Amino acid sequence: MDAQKVDMFIMTNGKFFESHQIGQIRERLLVLDESKWPMIQSLPLKDPSTSLIVSILGGSMGIDRFIIGDTGIGVGKLLTCGGFGIWTIIDWFMIQGATREKNMQKLQQFLY
Amino acid sequence: MTSTRNRLYLLLALVCTAGYIWLFINLPNAESSPDVCMIKHVTGIPCPSCGSTRSITSLLHGDVTGSLFWNPMGILILLIMLIAPVWITGDVLLKKQTLFSFYQQFEKTLQQRRVAIPAIALVLLNWIWNIHKGL
Repeated sequence: MDAQKVDMFIMTNGKFFESHQIGQIRERLLVLDESKWPMIQSLPLKDPSTSLIVSILGGSMGIDRFIIGDTGIGVGKLLTCGGFGIWTIIDWFMIQGATREKNMQKLQQFLY
Repeated sequence: MTSTRNRLYLLLALVCTAGYIWLFINLPNAESSPDVCMIKHVTGIPCPSCGSTRSITSLLHGDVTGSLFWNPMGILILLIMLIAPVWITGDVLLKKQTLFSFYQQFEKTLQQRRVAIPAIALVLLNWIWNIHKGL
């Protein structure tokens, strides 16, 4: 793909991925076929900051996990009152990483 | 793939162990109200799953109506706590991943709109009932 397009994608969406994945994403995008560009551009990526806010407000009901697509863990948190409150606190620190991980999974379908 | 499977099994096993310890502590007194819920402490309103400990303990004491009254979610939790350890042990011993594939299928099903909306509505209704009961 066009280097300019790839760099634009990295600049606008870099914050949605772990920093150590950026290099790999750039490399893969450069060799990717041009026809996949519209799909990659319209991927529904989730913002880690938003999920942190949701985690702080609705974490004990598992809403943060539901939003990023971890439905099973979300149900677990909902049923156990946020894992006796402990899981809720752990997720305040884990949710941003989990969101970036989920975004990477979404992108990976197109990269390989 | 195996690492995600093992992570899920470890997490489930941990949660189940915590659940059993919690149940063991609270089993003698079915009517008491253990206060660990963060939502209840912060806002004074019970959360959707408040009352599930009381629900399970009254069910174990043989009181099915009481269990349904406290919180129907308790019965669901008890079912998971009974089935999950057996299933995990079976999968680990036979080196299979039937529970993991079931979990993924369950996630996929729950993400469909026609399943998700009734599920959310049920949880909300249960929550309103909880607040009304004043748990």
